[in-house]
Amino acid sequence: MPTPLTLTPGRRDDGSALLTVVGEIDMSNTGAFAEALGATRGPLVVDLTGVEYLDSAGLGVLFLHADRVELVAGPLLTPVLTVSGLAGITTVHDA
Amino acid sequence: MAPPRDAEHAPPTPTATTGVFAADREVGRDLAAVDWAATPLGSPRGWPQSLRTAVSILLSSRFSMWMAWGPELTFFCNTAYRRDTLGQKYPWALGRPAREVWAEIWQDIGPRIDAVLTTGEATWDEALLLFLERSGYSEETYHTFSYSPLRDDSGAVVGMLCVVSEETERVIGERRMATLRELGSDPSMVRTEEEVLAFAGRQLGRNPRDLPFTLTYLFGPDGSARLAGTTGLRAGHPAAPAALPADGTPGVWPTAAPARGESVVTALDGPPFTGLPTGDWAEPPTHALILPLLQQGTTPYGFLVAGLNRYRPLDEGYHGFVELTAAHIASGISGARSYRAQQRRAEELAELDRAKTTFFSNISHEFRTPLTLIMGPVQELRSRLDGAGPEVREELEVVHRNALRMGRLVNDLLDFSRIEAGRMRASYEPADLAAVTAELASVFRSAADRAHLAFEVDCRTLDQPVYLDRGMWEKVVLNLLGNALKFTSEGCVRVAVRAGDGHAEVTVADTGIGIPAAEMPRLFERFHRIENARSRSIEGSGIGLALVRELVGLHGGTITADSTEGEGTRFTVRLPFGSAHLPADAVVPATGAGGVFPSADPYVQEAVRRRPETAPRTDAATVASAGRPHTAGARPAAPARVLVADDNADMRAYLTRLLRGAEYEVEAVADGRQALGAARREAPDLVVSDVMMPRLDGLSLVAALRADPRTASVPVLLLSARAGQEASVEGLGAGADDYLVKPFAAAELLARVRANVELSRLRTRHARWRTALVDSLQEAFFVCDEEGAVVEINTAFTDILGYGPEGLPYRPRQPWWPRAAADPDAHERAAVAFEGMLRRGRGRHTVPVSHRDGHRLWISISFNRVRDPGTGRRAVVGTFRDVTAEHHAVQRESALAALGLRLSRAGDASEALTGSLAELKELWRARQVLAVVLDGTPEPSVTTAAGPAPGWPELSPRLRKRLGSLRGVAPLTPVTDRSGAGIVLEHPGGPLALWIDLGGHRLFTDEDQLLLSLLAGHLAQGLVRAHQIDQQRETALALQRAILGPSHLPDGFAVRYEPATRPLEVGGDWYDTVALPDGRIGIVVGDCVGRGLGAATVMGQLRSACRALLLQDAGPARTLMALDHFAAGLPGARCTTVFCGVLDPASGRLTYSSAGHPPGILARADGTTLLLEDGRSLPLAIRPGRPRPEGACTLPARATLLLYTDGLVERRRRPLTAGIDQAGAAVQQGRDVAVGELATQVMERLAPAGGYDDDVAVLVYRHPAPLDLSFPAESAQLALVRQALRGWLAQCGLPRRTVQNVLVAAGEACANAIEHGHRDAPGDPVRLRVEAFADGLRLVVADSGSWKVPQPEANRHRGRGTALMRAMMEQVTITPGATGTTVEMHTRIG
Repeated sequence: MPTPLTLTPGRRDDGSALLTVVGEIDMSNTGAFAEALGATRGPLVVDLTGVEYLDSAGLGVLFLHADRVELVAGPLLTPVLTVSGLAGITTVHDA
Repeated sequence: MAPPRDAEHAPPTPTATTGVFAADREVGRDLAAVDWAATPLGSPRGWPQSLRTAVSILLSSRFSMWMAWGPELTFFCNTAYRRDTLGQKYPWALGRPAREVWAEIWQDIGPRIDAVLTTGEATWDEALLLFLERSGYSEETYHTFSYSPLRDDSGAVVGMLCVVSEETERVIGERRMATLRELGSDPSMVRTEEEVLAFAGRQLGRNPRDLPFTLTYLFGPDGSARLAGTTGLRAGHPAAPAALPADGTPGVWPTAAPARGESVVTALDGPPFTGLPTGDWAEPPTHALILPLLQQGTTPYGFLVAGLNRYRPLDEGYHGFVELTAAHIASGISGARSYRAQQRRAEELAELDRAKTTFFSNISHEFRTPLTLIMGPVQELRSRLDGAGPEVREELEVVHRNALRMGRLVNDLLDFSRIEAGRMRASYEPADLAAVTAELASVFRSAADRAHLAFEVDCRTLDQPVYLDRGMWEKVVLNLLGNALKFTSEGCVRVAVRAGDGHAEVTVADTGIGIPAAEMPRLFERFHRIENARSRSIEGSGIGLALVRELVGLHGGTITADSTEGEGTRFTVRLPFGSAHLPADAVVPATGAGGVFPSADPYVQEAVRRRPETAPRTDAATVASAGRPHTAGARPAAPARVLVADDNADMRAYLTRLLRGAEYEVEAVADGRQALGAARREAPDLVVSDVMMPRLDGLSLVAALRADPRTASVPVLLLSARAGQEASVEGLGAGADDYLVKPFAAAELLARVRANVELSRLRTRHARWRTALVDSLQEAFFVCDEEGAVVEINTAFTDILGYGPEGLPYRPRQPWWPRAAADPDAHERAAVAFEGMLRRGRGRHTVPVSHRDGHRLWISISFNRVRDPGTGRRAVVGTFRDVTAEHHAVQRESALAALGLRLSRAGDASEALTGSLAELKELWRARQVLAVVLDGTPEPSVTTAAGPAPGWPELSPRLRKRLGSLRGVAPLTPVTDRSGAGIVLEHPGGPLALWIDLGGHRLFTDEDQLLLSLLAGHLAQGLVRAHQIDQQRETALALQRAILGPSHLPDGFAVRYEPATRPLEVGGDWYDTVALPDGRIGIVVGDCVGRGLGAATVMGQLRSACRALLLQDAGPARTLMALDHFAAGLPGARCTTVFCGVLDPASGRLTYSSAGHPPGILARADGTTLLLEDGRSLPLAIRPGRPRPEGACTLPARATLLLYTDGLVERRRRPLTAGIDQAGAAVQQGRDVAVGELATQVMERLAPAGGYDDDVAVLVYRHPAPLDLSFPAESAQLALVRQALRGWLAQCGLPRRTVQNVLVAAGEACANAIEHGHRDAPGDPVRLRVEAFADGLRLVVADSGSWKVPQPEANRHRGRGTALMRAMMEQVTITPGATGTTVEMHTRIG
């Protein structure tokens, strides 16, 4: 059974695409995560504020879309994003 | 190398002496024949090892031993004991109860055996009197023995071993010797017969053991016997009649046989012998020995009846003793009788002398008348026949001269008888001595002129008168001058008068033939004629000088003579001035008479006629014809031994022939050196020696003989060609007894020899008795001079040491000292004893010495300083006896004791062996002692005194060969060669070969071999016991560990148990953890009182009870209260201390209660330490029913809890708190290691230098317990794993950021494991383990699959995962392997 993960697509106030992720992202559910990201076109804000755990598999998905995503993340994920270098090539907004 | 016994000495019947009895064929066969099944010991097949060992030792020993074993003390003995002691009881005694075997002495030895069996301590008895019935009668015997305990395999005393040496011969020999010594100690030389017998009786009466009673009978002239002395029996007893008739009528004692010089043994049956005294014994004698009192060459004086000790056989020794006693009595009687005879003879001689004088004086009177009737007519005829022919005148002259001479003799004799009868009437008138003397001398002047002699008269007038009886003085001067002229052929005769101090001095000197020195003492004796080679032909009455002395004496004066043979003689007369010394009535006024001396004529006439011719020299032929000297008269009882020393072979042969002809026993040697040796070997009765000899001349020989106490009293007769006084004085001065100038007459030589031998025999009777006595001593006897040189020894000395009298004197260091190079210790002991002897002069030592043949002896020596009454010099007199056997017995006992101590102290079998080897090494001062178990392996392990040795291949080939050769040698049979000794003993691991390497410095004696086999036997037993103890201990330890462990400890816990080091024994400590149904964990650490299996059993029961109580959901306090009741009913459980706690591993909440147990130690992550001191109460079962308190605490994150028993912290002379502090520090030091490692570190850090002397249990818990997860390699598991990890990390009290880092790192590692390790086998387990330390965390993720070559595409974000792990954690190690990959990560906290 994959790790429970809630993926909610939406629009931001400015009309840009938004994907709100709640739960933990690991190897078991990166498929769903990648699918949700792939379902969108154009700039995308991925709100990871509700994500308590993000492993390298989840990061891999984000790296695939690095040129069009902006991230919103809490301090819990900061080390992972910084260490992986993702924070250097995408914009990370503090939650 | 000794061949294997079995091959060489196959026993006649294969079953008879094999097995336990193999060590001795003969006794072994008889032991094998015993019906053992009928004894309490049962068949030998079922005998315990200890009994088998004991029997082996017994049988293989050559030392006399017996042993007893089991409830009835079943008897065994060896060949030596059978031979020395058991006698006719063999083989009946084998296998019988000892009480039955030695029934007759059980009252003596029973209590000693009981003491050994009850106390386990050995006994020691020296020369104990025991009455044995081994030869068909009750026998007086003496034994020195030791009983030592024999133990069975469990160490209990079940029998005893007796090592015994029989000392009957020595004790009885010493007793008899004491009697003989006392008999010879009679200080007075001459006694009456009665005194001799009374003295002997007193001495015999003091030995009532050998001589219960004695009777001494002396024969009368008619052959009857009278009782002269008794001991032990009163005189009126029917067996001691006062007189026994001459034989023919049967009396109480036979007299005919002893009268013939024969001895008889009489049975003491029947009436006269009832009620005989018993001496020192319970029963009276059954036989008496009757011995003649006999001196060689005489008829018996009487006989001695000796009642015999019924407890000893009348063997040669006993018979000899009684014979010596009788001989001594006989010798005493002989001495007394000969003394009496001599006295009588002296009286007779004096009487004879008086009778002779009387006779001569009587006859002289009768002569005077006829003489006068001759003289008158002769005078007449001379004047009348003046013109007759010369022949007639000549013959008349002869008649005249001889008549004068006869007249003179008659007058002299008459003067004598007058003097003797006190009838000499003297009238002393004052006279001018010089004038009177010169006048008298002038009478001889013409005679001197005729003889062409110078005649000097030097008489100066004195300033005071001398009172003289003129007639008497005239005789004095005429006699002296007459003699001088008579014996002087050339030279001069001189008369002188001088004044001396208060006296006048008249000398008459000549240059005549002189007087031999030997004659000087008798010069003035009446009727004594001077014997002189040149005066032989000169006749004389022998009264002239005697008369002169008497006459001078009447004047109150003295006369002396000096003479040198061949040179001349000088007489000196001293007369006091004045008249005070003279009887007043004989002093008369001066008459002035003088002038003519009619009485002078005879003297002058005689002097002129009797002057010597030139004496013919006596040649050998005349001497040889002398013949036997004393064909009549008593000859010596035994032929006297004469030692002749002369370098001239002819002279030697001549002397030998001469002396043998006179029935002397002669030994002839060629020089002084040989003579000295011969005299020392056996002192002769007389030495006849030439003065001039090569190597050692006669004078030196005399000096050497005199210097040696053994020969000091041997008389010496020196022969010399040198005549003259000086030579003889020199000889006599050197200590010679007599001196004879060559040439000598045979008769003279024989007479002197005879006189000297008789004198010597008389003089040395006592000395010879002393020598015989000293030689018959069983103890060695010696005399040392001031420098420590041994100068006299006896036969026993030679018997013991092998050095004989021919080597005397033995100067220090004596050859029997142990050589310093070979045995420095023994040498040192001898030196100390010797020093002590010279310095202290009195004492007793036991010292090692070497026999002449090289073997080692121990002697017990006692000595005393004495002063030689002859020389005044100090000497040391000592005796010693051979105590080698006793010494070795003592050495054996102490070696056995030392070995026993070593064995008892050893903690285990290997220590027992090492310690024993060290003991053996020390005992023999060996270079090396090796032990090898010959278990058949090619390279058996080697043990030395220092412990396990380098190993078989490192040993020298020689040693390997030596040890290997012991394979197949019978157990406990020593094998020796030049380099050392070996033995094989039974050992649990196979035959154990021992080799003692002595380095070739020292002999391995028979005694050493006996000791080695004894020690090896003990060692074998000790090793079996140690081995059994080892096995028991290992079993117990295994048992304890089995009871102790929870087989599976909850995570986070570590435990240790360590038994006490010495003695290695299990104990009563325990620990326990109990998983409770609600997830909590019960923790127990306890300590039962005591050690060993008993304590372990109690511990097991308490532990089970405690566990059951905890499982009933009881709290710690309730559990302990219930345990109080349980322990109260369990023997040995009282006072047990217990720490009992219940831990909630999730919260760290710990409730606990302590029953008198030391407090738990809590080491917090911040470095502080807390003691769990609440909830404390009494140990178990002290107050059952009393409520117990409970304490509680929450274990902080990453804190470590240490529970323990007091063995960890309790040390002597140190407060408990010090130990607890130390333990706390140890835990703090180990805050960064895993609990298992920490437990080990704590045990190590607190261990005392010599190991724990109490057992120790330790329990360590660190909170929280590590997380250990195992999950299938599926990605779906990751969330669950994260959840569990997150929960565990929460317990660790970590910052949130650290938690997230750990989660990420762990997640990447797990994902890696799932993705890489198990892509082909999904579902295989992956394991995650996280463990907290005070300052850090450790994570391990392990899979068990094979690592596959990573796909390049997939690798991209996996590489990212690894990077993440490294970024999150401080240390990451990935270890790929064939059986899986392990990722280990570590991070610090804070």
